[in-house]
Amino acid sequence: MNTISVAESRRSPGIAFDPRLLGNARGALYLAVIAAAVGLLIMAFGSPFIIRLMATAYINLIVVVGLQIFMGNANVVNIGHAGFMALGAYFVAIFATPVMMKAVVIPNAPFGMSHVEVGALWAFFISVAMTTVIGLISGLVLVRLAGIAATILTISILVIVQGVLVTWTDLFRGAQAFFGIPKAVGPGLIILATVAALVIARMFKGSRAGVQLRASATDPLAAEAMGVDVKRLRLVAWVLGSAVVGCAGALYALYAGTINARAFYFHTAFLTLAMAIVGGMRSVTGAMVGVALLTVLLELIRVVEGGITVFGIEFPDMLGLSGLMLGVIIVTVMCFRPDGFMGGHEIEEAVAALRRRFARGKGET
Amino acid sequence: MDYLIEQALNGFSIGAQYSLLALGLAIVFSVMGLVNFAHGEFIGVAGYAMFAMAAMGMTNPWLLVLFAAVTVVIVALVIERIAFRSVRDAPPTTGLLTAFGVGIVLQNLFLLLVSPRPKAVPSLSALNQTVDVWGHNFTILQFLEVGVTAVAIGALVWFLKATRIGLAMRAAALDFTTVRLMGMRANRVIAFAFAISGLLASIAAIFFIARRGAIDPFMGLLPVLKAFVACVLGGFGSLPGAVIGGLLLGFVEVMLIVLLPDKLAGLRDASVFLIVGAILVFRPQGILGKRVELGDKTA
Repeated sequence: MNTISVAESRRSPGIAFDPRLLGNARGALYLAVIAAAVGLLIMAFGSPFIIRLMATAYINLIVVVGLQIFMGNANVVNIGHAGFMALGAYFVAIFATPVMMKAVVIPNAPFGMSHVEVGALWAFFISVAMTTVIGLISGLVLVRLAGIAATILTISILVIVQGVLVTWTDLFRGAQAFFGIPKAVGPGLIILATVAALVIARMFKGSRAGVQLRASATDPLAAEAMGVDVKRLRLVAWVLGSAVVGCAGALYALYAGTINARAFYFHTAFLTLAMAIVGGMRSVTGAMVGVALLTVLLELIRVVEGGITVFGIEFPDMLGLSGLMLGVIIVTVMCFRPDGFMGGHEIEEAVAALRRRFARGKGET
Repeated sequence: MDYLIEQALNGFSIGAQYSLLALGLAIVFSVMGLVNFAHGEFIGVAGYAMFAMAAMGMTNPWLLVLFAAVTVVIVALVIERIAFRSVRDAPPTTGLLTAFGVGIVLQNLFLLLVSPRPKAVPSLSALNQTVDVWGHNFTILQFLEVGVTAVAIGALVWFLKATRIGLAMRAAALDFTTVRLMGMRANRVIAFAFAISGLLASIAAIFFIARRGAIDPFMGLLPVLKAFVACVLGGFGSLPGAVIGGLLLGFVEVMLIVLLPDKLAGLRDASVFLIVGAILVFRPQGILGKRVELGDKTA
């Protein structure tokens, strides 16, 4: 049987689904249910501090998922995502902040922006759309490069965005905090957006484009020989990823109410990158696991960092301990599990593998 | 005209620093394919080593410089042994991320053990004295930077051409397996690559610290990013490319300092990266890099 007939026999006539689509939808459902359940449980029983922590962690999760869409599928290390987060946050701030506030915050804004005010929802959509357009423009340049040169270009994007934000004082308030953004988003909406991001990333990974892109990351030559348009797919992943990251930035601005350009620089970039690495950047489940692990761990270390008393012995402040542990975790994970905690597997694959191992163990005894 | 000559030497001396850092990156990359993101932290190691010795009462600047260089080389070797040996055969992305983790560890060690705030290291500030040469104002440091860098590059070329291990390193850039078949120890070749990379970084670090007169935990980040840029500009892994890329970057930077008004000073780094991005779009393989088609065996 030649390949064509195999392909035809698989594609049943009529309105049948691609079997892959169903599998992906199930995987996406698992992720969505877990993320939503954990989030809602925390919202129901957590203290305000814990809820705030959860909201930040979920926004980080959206960023990491957006990072995973490009980095995990195209296998190019991306450090520029924090720049897109900044763009999303600042665009939403410029559109959503009430005119009264703008008279204080950015009185001399160009393009008459100091007299424009739209609802938070519209501002959100405008912001994500503008970030996506910038993602498209930068993506057209980025797909011309591969490997380390592409990584350098993502760093360039981050530095350029930061430079523009800090220098263009009339529009972005420069290095000072941009305050007065309406706090239109609560933890519930953040959970909803996270679920949406997880589903989008999981469906993209399993889609035709995602499979082809991952194939091209493993072997560019073989993929091109099979007729995969590598550049176009990388562009699609880059634009989709930057849209998701921009959405995270916009949500953050609408949740926190105050943003600062310095918060979207290398520190954020490295922290979210570390989350993606630790969980395993090749799967969406890995993104979730990485965010959960590092959020909990860093929060625990932060308690120690502030100086604690154990058995009557007072430990001094240990600033930098959380950063130190972050680095140690990255190095350890890279040495012993280069593919991250999930090893590039999705949750349903991991569960299936566990079940198989369990069944085999039973059979032997 | 005077101003132009002064700025040209300035461009040379800043470019020389970037060249030294970029050379270190390129040597390690060409030998073992590792993109050493932790390279910038060698600057921090040199700085804090000098700070520690100065705090203990060592005042002789020569001894301080020697101590800093030795410490950086030892740290480079230790890092190679602990972190990079286990990811030696892994894909480049894994190596890059490991190096990135090592960098975070070192930065936070400085932060934890010393202080998050900048510390003054004034021992080398004497080098910033201006001297008058044919009516132009230069600092001793600028001459030292250009001179020492030239000597270091000369010594490196001699080392790579005339010694057995240097030959092995050049061969390893092409085909490591064959080098090992010829009876060279892989560990030794890579250790040498790291030692040289650390030594070059420590020279750059000393000039860097002499210019700034202070150290802080995150001081290595921007220089190493620029060194990366220099490498990519020249063609990643090419040693002459690293030098040329570094010098080019130094000139671009000085030009921007001269041309950009103070109001736009925040855009200096952004403009450097913008220019680099533009160059890469038209020559993705860098200035000296060969155009490699997918599947070429020499890639």
